[in-house]
Amino acid sequence: MEHLEHTETPSDMKSQIWKTFWILLGLTVIDIALYFILLSYHSMLKNALFIILGVVKAWYIVGVFMHMKFERKMLMYTIILPMIFVVFLVILMLIEGDFTNKLRW
Amino acid sequence: MANSTTLSTGKTFAWGGGKSPFSVSYGKLMMWIFLLSDAFTFSSLLIAYGFIRYSYQAPIANTIIKPLQHVGENFVEEMKKAGLFVQDHWPAPELVFNHFPFIHGMHLPLFFVSLMTFILIFSSVTMVLAVEAGHRMKKDEVANYMLLTIIGGAAFLGCQAWEWATFIHEGARLDYNPFGPRSFAALFFIVTGFHGFHVFSGVVLNVIIYLNVLAGTYEDRGHYEMVEKVGLYWHFVDLVWVFVFTFFYLI
Repeated sequence: MEHLEHTETPSDMKSQIWKTFWILLGLTVIDIALYFILLSYHSMLKNALFIILGVVKAWYIVGVFMHMKFERKMLMYTIILPMIFVVFLVILMLIEGDFTNKLRW
Repeated sequence: MANSTTLSTGKTFAWGGGKSPFSVSYGKLMMWIFLLSDAFTFSSLLIAYGFIRYSYQAPIANTIIKPLQHVGENFVEEMKKAGLFVQDHWPAPELVFNHFPFIHGMHLPLFFVSLMTFILIFSSVTMVLAVEAGHRMKKDEVANYMLLTIIGGAAFLGCQAWEWATFIHEGARLDYNPFGPRSFAALFFIVTGFHGFHVFSGVVLNVIIYLNVLAGTYEDRGHYEMVEKVGLYWHFVDLVWVFVFTFFYLI
């Protein structure tokens, strides 16, 4: 598994870039469409839906645009695994925010 | 002893020494590590937003005005009277960010920020096309795509300046928010300002790279890796915007 980059022809790479662009554009359009469809509807489920769409977009940006998909797995884990701390902090702070909310009202 | 010899020469062992275990150059690896630390900074800001927002009451459901409907000159005052902008409830983003340049008196939630998102995605694409052209050592193509990326970045910054100006014109300050809780405006200015400053830095870096490409610096060097490194930073700025867009405008 030496650097996959060298096995790709320029036209392959170019078509992949444009494919990713259309995927990102499509996901953003879905985001906006969902926003207007669910405009008067508020729930954690809707928020989760937007966050999942955001993470999918992030995966395409990091994977293809930033070339992470084609780098060594070692580099990928070095960068991605520390993000587990962010997930940890998100969960902690949402619990804490809920508690603060209950204290106030 | 024999064991250590096989380790340092063995092809399958990445950490044997003599070559980068990550199979990338020093500069690129350091850019990745920097971006990781920057990701932590932005995560902290966005998590602070999430925490503060969650500690207030949820936005009041808006049943008064629908997209594309006419809005009056003193929209904020009307919404305050209607009880949609109060101190205890987080304001609904759709009622705050509903302006579009050159269009007055119309409720257009999310329209302008969608345009900004498209601009940033497109400038990300031209950046990655510049990197791809760099692999093929096509100097003119790299220069053209870099120029398009710079234009995209500048357009985004212009949009953000307009967004800020509108928000400030309506009375929002770091310590005052006419739409409800004070921290709403403060968080908006700090998070989008921090992101905007990253975009500005990215545009400056892109301009430097563009001038170097024109001067033939990378042509002489034999590779366009510098474009890739700055490209990583530029894509990261786009990545952060995906989440700023999600948390500030969609949710």
